[in-house]
Amino acid sequence: MKIISFLHLSVLAPIAAWSLATSASRVPPPAAVIHVVATTPDLAALAREIGGDAVEVKALAKATEDPHFVDAKPSHIVTLNRADVLIEGGADLEIGWLPPLLESARNDRIATGAPGRIVASQGIRMLDVPSTLDRARGDVHALGNPHFLIDPINVRTIAATIAEHFALVNPKSADLFRANLKKFDATLDVHLATWLKQMAPFKGAKIVTYHKDFVYLAERFNLEVVETLEAKPGIAPSPAHLAQVISTMKAQNARVILVQPYQNRKTAETVARQTDATVLDMAQQPGAIDGTGTYFQLMDYIVTLLSTALQEKK
Amino acid sequence: MIPVDLQVVWQVMKWPLAACLLLPPLLVYLGLHVVKREVIFVDLALAQVATLGTCVALLMGYDFHDRISFWISLGVTFGAAALFSWSRSSQKRPVPQEAIIGITFVVAAAGVILMLSRVAGGKEELEHLLTGDILNVTALEVMQRAGVFVLLALFFATFHKRFALISSNPDEAFAGGMRVRLWDFLFYAAFAIVVVSFVRVAGVLLTFAYLIVPAVCAVMLAQRWMSRLTVGWVIAAAASLLGLTASYQMDLPTGAAIVCASGLLLILVSMYASLRKA
Repeated sequence: MKIISFLHLSVLAPIAAWSLATSASRVPPPAAVIHVVATTPDLAALAREIGGDAVEVKALAKATEDPHFVDAKPSHIVTLNRADVLIEGGADLEIGWLPPLLESARNDRIATGAPGRIVASQGIRMLDVPSTLDRARGDVHALGNPHFLIDPINVRTIAATIAEHFALVNPKSADLFRANLKKFDATLDVHLATWLKQMAPFKGAKIVTYHKDFVYLAERFNLEVVETLEAKPGIAPSPAHLAQVISTMKAQNARVILVQPYQNRKTAETVARQTDATVLDMAQQPGAIDGTGTYFQLMDYIVTLLSTALQEKK
Repeated sequence: MIPVDLQVVWQVMKWPLAACLLLPPLLVYLGLHVVKREVIFVDLALAQVATLGTCVALLMGYDFHDRISFWISLGVTFGAAALFSWSRSSQKRPVPQEAIIGITFVVAAAGVILMLSRVAGGKEELEHLLTGDILNVTALEVMQRAGVFVLLALFFATFHKRFALISSNPDEAFAGGMRVRLWDFLFYAAFAIVVVSFVRVAGVLLTFAYLIVPAVCAVMLAQRWMSRLTVGWVIAAAASLLGLTASYQMDLPTGAAIVCASGLLLILVSMYASLRKA
């Protein structure tokens, strides 16, 4: 029985020490920089552009992780607990994982409606808003398709919202945020002109995506998404559906398939073999692919890859 | 690594810690029975059947957190409990019970895959059911489980002699004229309630770890039921603390960290046990 009493001690001592240490409450010192948490790396990248040195930004989801499904880790709760600002995509993108983390983090600064809470989807013209809701139709978002950051025009709106909230949270740096926003908008204008020019020859081109995650890109650059490899959003492709995708692609001459890093590239390759299509390694998160650390780098990469592939398959 | 601020640590980890200290004792007790009966995988099979029941509820359009999906899941699991009590009581059959348990497990697992292929985000849902979300357990969830577990613990304590006899010496129980089938069904039904309600907060892997590892350690270190139960709980608590600490310090998924911590403790305990024997 000696081992038992030893184990008892070694287990109970830390608990006692722990509860003693935590009973003394401490007030955190006022933050010199704003601590910003973004649910996804694309939102984090925007926050960095607008906040500059006056913010410290962390993203909860990794660039290569499906933003619909993020595994909870202690650091997520700690980060949320300390945050002054939370930027979420909204439109139910994070509904599967963010609410329980927020509940554990207990942070009023980023509660719904607080200046520290930014919901990116507010003010965006949403696509794919369903008329009826039913789980049988797949992972359909009641508020519309949440993959809207891929459209540069939407990004302009979100950047403005971020600047506004940052100024509310830290009025001392408001001028800096406004200046950064202006610079961002100017850079975006230059890039957007280039992107539109690059994509102009492919007006009406037909593309296939894995998930319904490039509809905003398609709308901005006048492309047509003729099929998705998932029969319904979030539901794994079935053989019968893939057969249908193949025949549609042949009939409509769609020759590129867009796949994100966390989606099943093999499924796309199987379809591509039957249809003489090219599988493109696309991403919506800066940093998911090497050399795409900022939003501009990412969009440059996407537009170049897409226009090159469409040119080859013309 | 996250810098340690004890207040934050406490805030983040207190309910997972409470769940990991308060809930395992009953699991350890059941684990001792399961080890004795040599039906180690009965827990995995029941957990998998419970998951199957949850998938039925999901397909019917209920959410994972709806109360009704818990009841559907439990109902389906009672079916498996009936199957297990029947398969064990039929003594003279040439088919070992472990075979039936194994078959139940794979068929339920395959059924889950089939069903989830029709549910949005099925693959991820599957992973969630396996690894659970002990980190985000709420005060309410811990209290509810604790309440249910106390009631069931009273039930098992009241009838401990019968259950102990059936587990360790079924022949004698049969000879003594006990209604072994009935008691076996009650055992598996109560077992199912424990497993189903714990799996929903902790996942299949962690439930299995809490059930089996402390019990196996206890069998190596002690003889009587009471001392085994104590050793088992201490091992479970130690694994919980080790796993939770590692999870926080190294930012690892919490459930999996506790499972690996119990594996580590089992290795240490078996080394100690073999040294003691030598």
